[in-house]
Amino acid sequence: MSIMPNDIEARLLEAAPAGIQYRATTDDKSVVTAWCTLSSADNLLPVGRRLKDMGARLSTITVFQPKAPPAPPKPKEGDPPPPPVTFFGGIVSDGKGYEIHYHFDIDGDTLTVTAHVGTGGSIDSLTPLYRAADWPEREAMELYSLVVRNHPNPQRLFIDSGIEGAVFERLIPYSTLVNSAASKSIWEKIMAQTGAPS
Amino acid sequence: MSNFTIPVGPLHVALEEPMYFRIDVHGETVNNVTINAGHVHRGIEYLITKRNVFQNVVLTERICSLCSNSHPQAYSMAIEQIAGIKVPPRAEYLRAIADEIKRVASHLFNVGVLAHLVGFESLFMHVMEVRERMQDVKESIFGNRMDIGANTIGGVRYDIDPERIGYLRAQLDALVPDVEEIIDLYHTDNSILRRTRGIGVLSHADALDCGVVGPVARAAGVNYDVRVKAPYAAYDRLEVPVHVLHDGDVWSRAMIRLMEARTAIDLIRQCLDALPDGPTVATAERPAIPPGEAIAKCEAPRGELIYYVRMTDSPKPERVKWRVPSFLNWDALGIMLKQAKVSDIAIIVNSIDPCISCTER
Repeated sequence: MSIMPNDIEARLLEAAPAGIQYRATTDDKSVVTAWCTLSSADNLLPVGRRLKDMGARLSTITVFQPKAPPAPPKPKEGDPPPPPVTFFGGIVSDGKGYEIHYHFDIDGDTLTVTAHVGTGGSIDSLTPLYRAADWPEREAMELYSLVVRNHPNPQRLFIDSGIEGAVFERLIPYSTLVNSAASKSIWEKIMAQTGAPS
Repeated sequence: MSNFTIPVGPLHVALEEPMYFRIDVHGETVNNVTINAGHVHRGIEYLITKRNVFQNVVLTERICSLCSNSHPQAYSMAIEQIAGIKVPPRAEYLRAIADEIKRVASHLFNVGVLAHLVGFESLFMHVMEVRERMQDVKESIFGNRMDIGANTIGGVRYDIDPERIGYLRAQLDALVPDVEEIIDLYHTDNSILRRTRGIGVLSHADALDCGVVGPVARAAGVNYDVRVKAPYAAYDRLEVPVHVLHDGDVWSRAMIRLMEARTAIDLIRQCLDALPDGPTVATAERPAIPPGEAIAKCEAPRGELIYYVRMTDSPKPERVKWRVPSFLNWDALGIMLKQAKVSDIAIIVNSIDPCISCTER
């Protein structure tokens, strides 16, 4: 049976005065999945605080760059250009902005809070509120150029510090990916640094 | 006494997979632990967006071997939600059977390795021999010992006829006394108790703070099991007891796993008793997957596994994100290892049943 509070939408709206979009579904096993999109990413911390007070647990964080919508047909001569497509809240959907989902568990039910951040933008860290945000935020910072503000330990998590960041935002040649393990170039690199054996 | 820094790993005799721990010790006591991860990072989250929805069922099964059934199951559940596919009842029961068979084998493996780390080699070999019965079950029913390929979008890829049901029941009947004997042994044997009671403690408050899941959480008094809190497959029709202990030590985590292995046998029996007739898959065709997004959760042997899937109008997902139970449990390891003795490090690390392939993807 669902334990998601009936007034959850009102509680979220109270914590996010800039506005929210809310929807929820209940499956045939009575499990609720709710989605709350924030109009302003600046409302993330108060929403996180409110959910913490309700006993929510942060399951994980998903970050990605939604693809830009197809370009609209060229306007006729003299017509103004069509306005850019935006996410809820006004961030332009140009394929380079970030959609960040915070998946909270409320005793079995799931609430996903979504925030949008434009290219080169940043978002507050939830780690001071939820320890479970630590690793997902560090991982997000090494996969994307996204900056997480006030993270207590913004170190690399999985990707070595010698590798350029934002690995999900660029093409990495296979030989680089496997650290040249499939060719003789790693041997040549070592020889160049240490010198050939005498 | 002096302060030292001990490197453990990334390749170490006590670790099944590579992970590097920098352990600061004062004499024989651990002061601080720094975890350096990434040695088996394979970029699967990137790869999954380059394959189509159906190919990814195969890919997700290869993220990890011990919980290999849970990944394609949760992934398939998310896709089914997006496409509005209703899984037939027989397939729901067969999914639960596959889940529980994997759980028995996974838990016995971890508890067996604990005996090895304690230095009780004959018990280690005995537990592994008992577990071998479940390996035989997997090989006989699914044709494979680890990646069992049970799931597909809309249902399952296997079925069991009365002959195989009889075989499975006979194996379970033979397994029960062995598992109960092992539970009794871990309850009473001093070699086990001396090395595990009061070791690597995670308090209830710390468990909640870290957000740990699975046996690590339940051994610290957190009553959370996805099969009960957010039922999926046939679990809403099964009697699923949730085992909870309160000491939060290595022994409690091992006992939770043993009790859950015993319960899993009962759950398989419940499924066999109630197994309905009917199709094992919603549609023989490959269904069209419309744009959409979904969340799916299941209880992997190590705890809650969560999948997020976003589909657009491409047959390849725009984003698939999953968080494995170990991902959260690593953080708690720092608390468990504080003030521990150097000789207990390997036992404590094993007690979270860490899965590094899962964690790093």
